[in-house]
Amino acid sequence: MKTIYKTTIITLSLFLMTVLFVACSSTKDKYTDASDDDFKIEKSGAQLWGETCNRCHLAPSPTDYNDTDWDTIALHMRVRANISKDDIEKIREFLKSAN
Amino acid sequence: MKRILIIMLLFFLVGNIMAQDTKQSEIDSLVDVALAKKGFKPSKTQFMIRGYGHTGLNNVTTNGDTESSYVGSAFAPIFLFKHSDKLLFEAELEFVLEANNLDVGLEYANVMYVANDYLTIRAGKFLLPFGTFMERLHPSWVNRLPTKPLGFGHDGIAPGSGIGLELRGSVNLGGPRLNYSVYSTNGPRLKDGSIEPDEAGRLLFSNFEDNNNSKAFGGRLGFLPFSDSSTEIGFSTYSTNGTGIKDTVYQDVGAFLYAFDFSFIKQIPAISGMVDIKSQYNNSKVDNATYIDEEDGLPYTFNNESNSFYAQLSYRPTMADNDFIRKLELVGRYSSFNAPVGAEWAGEAEQYAFGLNYWLSWRSLIKVAYQTTDTIGGHDGDGNTKGFFIHWAIGF
Repeated sequence: MKTIYKTTIITLSLFLMTVLFVACSSTKDKYTDASDDDFKIEKSGAQLWGETCNRCHLAPSPTDYNDTDWDTIALHMRVRANISKDDIEKIREFLKSAN
Repeated sequence: MKRILIIMLLFFLVGNIMAQDTKQSEIDSLVDVALAKKGFKPSKTQFMIRGYGHTGLNNVTTNGDTESSYVGSAFAPIFLFKHSDKLLFEAELEFVLEANNLDVGLEYANVMYVANDYLTIRAGKFLLPFGTFMERLHPSWVNRLPTKPLGFGHDGIAPGSGIGLELRGSVNLGGPRLNYSVYSTNGPRLKDGSIEPDEAGRLLFSNFEDNNNSKAFGGRLGFLPFSDSSTEIGFSTYSTNGTGIKDTVYQDVGAFLYAFDFSFIKQIPAISGMVDIKSQYNNSKVDNATYIDEEDGLPYTFNNESNSFYAQLSYRPTMADNDFIRKLELVGRYSSFNAPVGAEWAGEAEQYAFGLNYWLSWRSLIKVAYQTTDTIGGHDGDGNTKGFFIHWAIGF
């Protein structure tokens, strides 16, 4: 079975899709003076906490852990749930500010 | 005179208390200054134990035969060691009381290193991102029902974990989000029927020491098209060129698995609550091979393709005025499993599960569920199994 070829093709396709998505999201060329941030929907840590955590489990209470714990949990969740750096940093700061 | 003495005494006491408060606050501020001068900061290194567990009552009736039992506490501690802001070790042990035995397992143990904003490297035994159920949703305090859908866990076709190396990451596209993971593991072992003839052709994913030189390669791409992250669609693959033991006729029996997953969660004011939909389709194709029939000793083969599917809908009235109602959750799930025709383990199964949950906190819930499973073929032949479950799950 030529599964390795299938996998290679699929993997390449996934990467191409990734590149496409990233490329399409870029606004760095000269068509506009607007900065990248003008096109991003900036959300607060509280919003992201509600939206992101709930994707798998109920959003945690900020008071259940201290700041040091939240640092560890945030790093763990960043990897386990594949959350982007920007999002997890905002969530972590919100949890630390609200506990 | 007496009054004057009492007033003087009160002034003395109040003054003394205020003076103590002042002294205490002065001491606190002096300590803060001293610590700041010494450069005191919270340690970047931290060891933490988290995890989950559950216990409950199962009442299961299979073809009219009822078995009722309290099920022992499953206990799954997760050990986290944060070495630095970029390096983390995670491991989960699982203690389960089953069939009068204590089963202990190492569900995963791996090191993860955040290489940059978009890339994290993991090595060791890790949960495989084949769909989302096993990686994200299976812990008892996360899973909304006391059981797993068909196709997962023991006798399932979806790989749960593997030993190897993984690259993963996520990017915020300014609203939509994209996450990816690619990995290589030891891959599955093929049950060739030499030990369990009625299992010939099945894949066993606990391949702690590779039985051949063929590695498995896989990955998942997840896309969240909306800025509120309410929706995620994912596609996963898992492939290997060899599953059998080295230097046997099964050495080059390959396998190709894929999965689609879907998730939608959103608070909808019109129905005063939160809707949560989860779904996953798994397909497994193992190269055709010849096995030996245990009864007549004759060779046989079959088209070794299996699939399973589940869809789950849950609703929490999070906007209800009543606190008790706000903590309730209704959940329903359909799942199915189709094993290959011609295999000793050929069969079809369909399952419906309904539950009512009560959330004691964000990480602890009581689940009451009813489940019915219709089976055609398989190890136990045709039949129906009805189950009633009361479980208490907690995450910590």
